Amino acid sequence: MLLVGDAGDFALAERSMVERLCADALTDEDRDVLSREGLLIDDGDPLGRVAYAYGVAERIGHAGALDYLILVPTLRCNLSCSYCQVSRVAERSTGFDWNEATLAAVLRLIDGLETERVKIEFQGGEPTLRPDLIRAVIDRCERIPIRQFVICTNLQRIDDDVLALFDRPDVFISTSLDGDAATHARQRTGDGATTDAFLANLRFVLDRYGPTKVSALPTVDPARLPDMDGLIDSYAAHGIDGVFLRPINYQGFARKRHAEVRELDAAWRYYHSAFVRRLIERNWEDRSRVLEETYFSICLRRVFQPGADRHVDLRDPNPVGVDYVVVDHDGRVYPTDEARMLTRSGVIDLAIGDVFDGWEAEARDRLNAHATNRFDPTCMGCAYQPFCGRDLVDDLSRYGRIDLPRHETEFCRRHLAMFDLVFELIYSADPAVRYSLARWLRLPGTPTKFGVRLS
Amino acid sequence: MIRLTLPAASDAEAPYVARLNTGRGGVDEADAALVDEDAEGVTYLGRHGVLAIDGASATELDRDVVIVDPVGGRAERILRRGSGHNTLLVTERCDQLCLMCSQPPKKTHVDRFALFEQACLLAESDSLIGVSGGEPTLYKDDLLGMLERVLAERPDLEFHVLTNGQFFDDDDVARLRDERYTRVSWGIPIYAADAALHDRIVGKDGALSRLEKSMAVLARAGARIELRTVLVADNADALPRLARYVAKRLRFIEVWSIMQLENIGFARARWASLFVEHARDFGPIGDAIDYAALHGIRAQLFNFPRCTVPEPWRDLARASISDWKRRYADACAPCRERDACSGFFEWHPIQQAEDGVTPL
Ligand code: SF4
Ligand code: SF4
Repeated sequence: MLLVGDAGDFALAERSMVERLCADALTDEDRDVLSREGLLIDDGDPLGRVAYAYGVAERIGHAGALDYLILVPTLRCNLSCSYCQVSRVAERSTGFDWNEATLAAVLRLIDGLETERVKIEFQGGEPTLRPDLIRAVIDRCERIPIRQFVICTNLQRIDDDVLALFDRPDVFISTSLDGDAATHARQRTGDGATTDAFLANLRFVLDRYGPTKVSALPTVDPARLPDMDGLIDSYAAHGIDGVFLRPINYQGFARKRHAEVRELDAAWRYYHSAFVRRLIERNWEDRSRVLEETYFSICLRRVFQPGADRHVDLRDPNPVGVDYVVVDHDGRVYPTDEARMLTRSGVIDLAIGDVFDGWEAEARDRLNAHATNRFDPTCMGCAYQPFCGRDLVDDLSRYGRIDLPRHETEFCRRHLAMFDLVFELIYSADPAVRYSLARWLRLPGTPTKFGVRLS
Repeated sequence: MIRLTLPAASDAEAPYVARLNTGRGGVDEADAALVDEDAEGVTYLGRHGVLAIDGASATELDRDVVIVDPVGGRAERILRRGSGHNTLLVTERCDQLCLMCSQPPKKTHVDRFALFEQACLLAESDSLIGVSGGEPTLYKDDLLGMLERVLAERPDLEFHVLTNGQFFDDDDVARLRDERYTRVSWGIPIYAADAALHDRIVGKDGALSRLEKSMAVLARAGARIELRTVLVADNADALPRLARYVAKRLRFIEVWSIMQLENIGFARARWASLFVEHARDFGPIGDAIDYAALHGIRAQLFNFPRCTVPEPWRDLARASISDWKRRYADACAPCRERDACSGFFEWHPIQQAEDGVTPL
């Protein structure tokens, strides 16, 4: 049985030891091994007590001052993907870009940031339809010492203005690559010529900047799960080693077109775990490169290395609207991108304010009082609580409420399955598994074991 | 090798501190200004009178802070300009007696805290000053008082204090939480997770248990800790277990330095029985580093010539040996990683060094 402490210490114990633990009949030897693993604090062990407190503190995420903005300078797009998450509008529409007043308000927001670093992600729509707005924002950040800009683009067209932005060392490119050309065409571009244009542009930016500057995500349709090797190959062929598998999010317009997504969740979980296993095999067969599924790696690192990732999707507590916000094309402000899509699809209005008059902290804080799994009755009894997180907006989007018993939510089912897989692999004796885990955990060598067994 | 102590003559009655100054860019009250230089050495004049130092040039000594000992006839270059390796040796007494001690302790203590304090106030801006011994915290109050006063006056300075962690107690928590201590890091040795083994290596019963108590105090104070483990034959195989101990119980440290032995002090006499040829079997060291890294503990290797470390761990090998006692083998000449490499201690067995390198 797996024993896990609040600080995330864990060990696999014989059933008999667990029975002695429950019966309050631990032997001295039991107590020794358990305290060595940080799972028991003996009286007269001040260091054990401090180590435990420190370990718990390390697990508590800290949302600092606002330093991460997701900006939607335009809702217009030159593609019409089958599941577009955002509710885009046609390229020629008017009234869906920031106007002068919105831009001015966004720039004021930037002037007011009080941090040493800033990350700004440009979303859309297709933000490269308005390079002038992107440039205005980037120029305004000059005073902030550490800056990172990510342009999320479909890479359909790169004109000179856009290229000049890409050329900046502080700009990164994020795009979507759904698999082989046929899948990409089916889900996104609609035809071969448009797909070819995208693939040529992707090749062009990769050749020009190398893979560290360019990231790509596949959106996977759980109703038509792509061939794994085909998907992996399409990334590997572009020299991209990290794949962040993303199931179609059934918010936004996608909700209308893919009504069955809810039933497909189980198929998705199965696919994800098979995908991770396939990566392990491929990494073992070809040691020259390390392929990884980004979300699995994040979960794995959360088990061993609290604080290693600053990932807002999985943290605890996970307050919204504090260290990052989304500014929509009309200046409205949302706590997350999902909240924006949800509002747009008419499910529920989750805007917390706008960029002109600021946002109301009170309603947000009331929601954030529930942004932790720490005191949730189900999570408190769950072995994965120290590693897992909370996603208020996901619950709202699926159930319209945040008070469903945790184990009845898709967030819980997905993470339960994820951490089941993580721990199965941690205790695997297969050298291929150990090899991939070590690489995903960024270790110099490959440990002989990742988890302790107590007898 | 750079000489740290030079013959000097002065008419002063008692030891004093001065900053040597060639005169370019103005002379302060605390400075001894250059008056003459010849083949023998340099002559300065300051508020303590004339000071003649032999065996160095005015350029070499410019803006060094020295402690002049008129009776002993020497000047100690306490803070050398431009060196990142300046260390104050605040006492030679110690309560432990480590197997491999590089500075075997002496019974007597000469209290020079006041001189060190004056010297620190004259330090170059933004410098990091080491404090070592003996065991500095045997004089904990004097030590902390000196650190606090210097840090208050000089917000640009930082200290790194080597201590065996045998003397911190609960009363220190509040004191060490002071904002000034964010500019102090504590280098603390631990040799094994097994108390009997650790205690045997440091020559003191109950040492690990006392160290744990101090560690709890330092953790509660939010102190910055560099954990140090010197590799000897006795603890090499116990290193992976120590890594697990660190990952479980000492997660609050900043970094864990695993250090190869220095051929001086006790280690010199016991070299054959203590030195671990890590190039031959890196196994337990690699395991320990991997286990630490797995749990997010940053490990680094000190005094490991880079070419002797297998490739996966090579980047953890730091250029750790102080400038004044570092040298490279002749065979190192063509190596491209020399600047990043620790090289060898001046007193490392020459043949062992020459035979052991493979330029990168
Ligand atoms: S897996 Fe489910 S029960 Fe466990 S911590 Fe996560 S959300 Fe809570
Ligand atoms: S050849 Fe010399 S300088 Fe190069 S890595 Fe080896 S010891 Fe260091």
